[in-house]
Amino acid sequence: MKNYDIIQHVRGESQFIDDINVPHGTLYAYVFYSPAAHGKILSLDLEYAASMKGVKRILTFKDIPGQNQIGGIIPDEPLLAENEVHFIGMPIAIVIAESKFIAKEASKNIKIEIEPLPVITDPREAFKNGKLIIPPKYFSCGNVEAAWKDCDVIVEGQCETGGQEHLYLETQGAFAFPVEGGNIKIVSSTQGPTAVQRVASKVLGIPMNKIEVEVLRLGGGFGGKEDQASPWAAMAALAAFKMKRPVKLILPRHEDMIMTGKRNPYSSDYKIGLNNEGKILAYEATFFQNAGASADLSPAVLDRTLFHCTNSYYVPNVKATGYCCKTNLPSNTAFRGFGGPQGMFVIECAITKAAETLGVEPSFIQRKNLFKDGDEFHFGQKVEHSRAQISWELAVKKFEPNKISQRIEKFNSENQNFKKGFAFMPICFGIAFTNTRMNQANALVNIYTDGSVTYSTAAVEMGQGVNAKIREVVSRVFSISHDRIKTEMTNTSRSANTSPTAASSGADLNCNAAYNACIAILDRLKKSALEEIDGEDLNKVEIKDEFVFYDKVNTGLGWNELIEKTYPKRISLCEYAHYATPGIYFDTKTNKGHPFKYHVYGTSIIEATVDCLRGIYTIDSVQAVHDFGNSLNPVVDLGQAEGAILQGLGWMTIEELIYNKEGKLLSDLLSTYKVPDMHFAPKNMEIIFLEEPNPVGIFNSKAIGEPPLMYGIGVYFAIMNAVKAFNPNKEFKFSAPITPEKVLMNLYQKENSMNESDVNRKKVFETVK
Amino acid sequence: MQPHFMTSKINFILNDELIETEINPATVLLDFVRNQRLTGTKEGCKEGDCGACTVLTGELYNGDIKYRSVNSCLIPLQNVTGKHIVTIEGINQNDDLLNPLQQAFVDEGASQCGFCTPGFIISLTGFFLNNTAEDNFSVLDALDGNICRCTGHNSIIRAAETISEKFKFILNTNGTKLKYLTDNKIIPEYFLSVKNRLEKLKSENSSNMPFSGTKYFIGGGTDLFVQRPDEMLSSDISFLSGNINLTGIIEKDGKCIVGSSTTVTELLESSIIKRIIPGIDRFAELFGSTPIRNSATVGGNLNNASPIGDMTAFFMGLNSSVILKNGNSKREIPLNKFYKGYKVTDRNPDEMMEAINFTIPSVNYFFNFEKVSKRTYLDIATVNTAILINVENGSITNVNISAGGVGPTPLYLFNTCNFLNSKELNFKNIKEAITIADSEITPISDARGSSEYKRLLLSRLLYLHFITLFPEIINLKDTL
Repeated sequence: MKNYDIIQHVRGESQFIDDINVPHGTLYAYVFYSPAAHGKILSLDLEYAASMKGVKRILTFKDIPGQNQIGGIIPDEPLLAENEVHFIGMPIAIVIAESKFIAKEASKNIKIEIEPLPVITDPREAFKNGKLIIPPKYFSCGNVEAAWKDCDVIVEGQCETGGQEHLYLETQGAFAFPVEGGNIKIVSSTQGPTAVQRVASKVLGIPMNKIEVEVLRLGGGFGGKEDQASPWAAMAALAAFKMKRPVKLILPRHEDMIMTGKRNPYSSDYKIGLNNEGKILAYEATFFQNAGASADLSPAVLDRTLFHCTNSYYVPNVKATGYCCKTNLPSNTAFRGFGGPQGMFVIECAITKAAETLGVEPSFIQRKNLFKDGDEFHFGQKVEHSRAQISWELAVKKFEPNKISQRIEKFNSENQNFKKGFAFMPICFGIAFTNTRMNQANALVNIYTDGSVTYSTAAVEMGQGVNAKIREVVSRVFSISHDRIKTEMTNTSRSANTSPTAASSGADLNCNAAYNACIAILDRLKKSALEEIDGEDLNKVEIKDEFVFYDKVNTGLGWNELIEKTYPKRISLCEYAHYATPGIYFDTKTNKGHPFKYHVYGTSIIEATVDCLRGIYTIDSVQAVHDFGNSLNPVVDLGQAEGAILQGLGWMTIEELIYNKEGKLLSDLLSTYKVPDMHFAPKNMEIIFLEEPNPVGIFNSKAIGEPPLMYGIGVYFAIMNAVKAFNPNKEFKFSAPITPEKVLMNLYQKENSMNESDVNRKKVFETVK
Repeated sequence: MQPHFMTSKINFILNDELIETEINPATVLLDFVRNQRLTGTKEGCKEGDCGACTVLTGELYNGDIKYRSVNSCLIPLQNVTGKHIVTIEGINQNDDLLNPLQQAFVDEGASQCGFCTPGFIISLTGFFLNNTAEDNFSVLDALDGNICRCTGHNSIIRAAETISEKFKFILNTNGTKLKYLTDNKIIPEYFLSVKNRLEKLKSENSSNMPFSGTKYFIGGGTDLFVQRPDEMLSSDISFLSGNINLTGIIEKDGKCIVGSSTTVTELLESSIIKRIIPGIDRFAELFGSTPIRNSATVGGNLNNASPIGDMTAFFMGLNSSVILKNGNSKREIPLNKFYKGYKVTDRNPDEMMEAINFTIPSVNYFFNFEKVSKRTYLDIATVNTAILINVENGSITNVNISAGGVGPTPLYLFNTCNFLNSKELNFKNIKEAITIADSEITPISDARGSSEYKRLLLSRLLYLHFITLFPEIINLKDTL
């Protein structure tokens, strides 16, 4: 199972947007953005900048021929600011010049006057001021109010999770050029080619069929290029359209960090009730989601928070409320997990606090409440083929948490300077776009007369190995070598009206569409083969290892020969097929239904060591039993699991987005926003494949992209437990990420004098390096 | 202003090709190679923090070529004069075959989106070219300047460890190493001819060292090209890199003298420094990353005047002085009097820092350096501090303590040191000293932490100096 993309990667031959050899005469665009988080634009003086040598033109909203509107779910987001600005980094003008250097230099000479308006960065403050992007959302089951009185223990509290910068290594960008007949072609680094096409069409005021969007591959996406690749593509298209010349627009890293949205930070309230046996009877949670300045995907992210608010646990009485709060930050957006992690963290905090009160380990409560078949999710879907308990029990068997616990206890009693802690983290994550209509895909498969094959789907390759999987499906259906198969670039002309590659569903949807196309061709090939071998029973024909078999005997008719003989008979060697995920539905009025095709489960145990002298920590081990189904490509799936876990660990620990009261991002460079590096990665990462076949997955496989990220949540509690081993009397506030700062403060503070969620940052020097 | 070195010629070997260019010498190497359509070298951050642009620079050194990994986004073209620059395209085998390092990455799935991958392969190649068995330098340390956002790094670690184990024998083959590397197809054949070609270049270039600008002195460029790359293109610059009068570490009259253009790597590899500070390997890896250390100069770090410069804390802890030179006149000023305010030093614009020196401590001395940052490796300090202390018969005879990140400039804790001098080394005095230290710092809240945190952190790190150096006198429990 060769991964063809990697072979190019290691030779440095894979092309990304900025690597395209652009034609002579290409212009370069730079985006001038708002320096203020909220205000009225009093004046915008472009004159001097536009007159600079090498500057071709500066475009503002006035130059947009179509609509100045890019909102996906709600039309609340202009491409370029008109009279008001709503966050620092909001695009205002596009400077087009002969070089990227000139374009950037010119933008420094644009003068803008902004009358400041009040800035809100905190979602609870936005809520108090009535700034909600959509009406509140309620998910519930049972009767929480009635259930409280049956509970032996009730705890409540507040917790915070921070945002997360995607930090795809390839920044946002696009290359657009005019094509004859008033058409535009856009090469975009996007997870959603159709979204780019739709937005560009709207902005340019021309039909979608005049815009062709192509995607080579992405240098990472993680959700950050699901909807948020569109504005840059639309701007490049607008510039190319206006200038009638090719235009390249690549965001420099600093601009990318300032201008684009991130994982939504949340502030949440919880209340949980259990009986003395540790059974959860009722759970109430209220989520204040920091959406940023416009809707973007936040309403859908909030949905998933509500869907996953009980994580892997059956709770008979649930009341979950979500507020999508408008603040003066860049519009936050999809990020691997899509609101799920934010929801799960809250119930893990609730369980931790309940365990303290009950005097048991959190794992006791976790284990007791795991989903089993026949339970019902709070949104009405029945639990089927649950792997929650089996993965937990296998983790216990393989990793022997009792021994870990004893070893840690011994270590902590013998060591003064270092303390260890560990925690369990089970996961349960639903697979499908929760917006049912997005669960469709199509695929084009061509067999050429020489027997070579191409396929084209809407799947965007961003390192997740989706093409290795689709190729595997094509190879298995035709029973031909991977070497015969080529992946075509994702392109809206070959694959129209597609959903973004997101929600862990890219492989599932596109493999199924490719499967349908291959099966249709295979049926025709078998009929053709039957004629060639003078057979009688079509059911006895099969293609195996590139040969036609009849009644299990190799007929000697090879793949190439079969194709050669089929074409002259005027039988199509090509197929365009569609796939729609069966059996899913959801009623958005009652918030009940069967939104997910299936769920992915797993259990991890995470161990960390805190250096009590310095307040820093190492993540020693992440051990997990993960529900892979029958993997289509174990190397790819393991890589996805490991990568997702490290991203989850980073989100919980050192990845800290810090905004000041003026709405300015302070951690706006790689020197101030730290993602995990090689030394941060756990020394021991052990992932056991739970290979229970998935009855509804293609070739019994399961989706992989997002779920393992949520194992990372466990590290928060592992570190917390280590800190408590040093400073047992400290009452912990649940506030992620648990940075070295919070660790040191918690190690040495005797009481809670610091408000961790809002570390006071009054005075700020410019970033110092 | 038109800088007058604009016409000077820059010659170097790029992969297998001789480059002669008259391009602006402040153009960064990354932009240059990408304009040559060598697009395997990627722009990820343009501040030396991701490693996607890593290339190798090879330079004649003691009759051999020394290859080092560097961040091409921060190297001005002038600094590659006369060197061999290797990009990913320059290590590919001519046919479409993968070399063993590349194959190991494929086998382990150590590449996902692929954007960071060429940088990792280059760093790994640098490890084989640069390291010998006795370096005791792990293959993972060679990758400390590269960030991958997809894989979680585990597959990369597996690939790197497999390959370093497989080719371990090559690290022992000093003189004939290049031959072994080409025979095993880790690098292409043409590497064998590079030494002669560099020697030829050297004789042609001779003393073509532009030394005329006055606005900026650039050493490695790892700070100025982060802070103001655009301004560099139109500035009047003196490039100091490669000036042999400014590099090297010597001992003279009881002093250790470090040329200002000495790179951090050269400092850490110096046998003199290793002898004076036996434990230096322990904290050396906390300074930047391998590619940054390979470019960044000691003088650059000191002059940059960042309150959290690691070299500054290190040398201030050693109670160093700096030599400033203007034409033929020189003056020496203690480092602890060099900083006048945030990013302001005592250096006049027409003065150049020539060297840093410190008195070599003789007997009964102890040195320690501590740094805490959000991420332990490849990060900038939240707080750093160094201590040099002499203790005789239980009494402190001399002490120097530096502290970074707790004021607008790198600090020398004068009051704290004054208090401790001539005092008995005991817990009570240490505790009181740390209270004094707290009164002479003025940390602010910023992206690296709140002021309360920085105060607490410095006090913990000061305790840690003593806990580390004098475990029989003080332990963590005492401090609670």
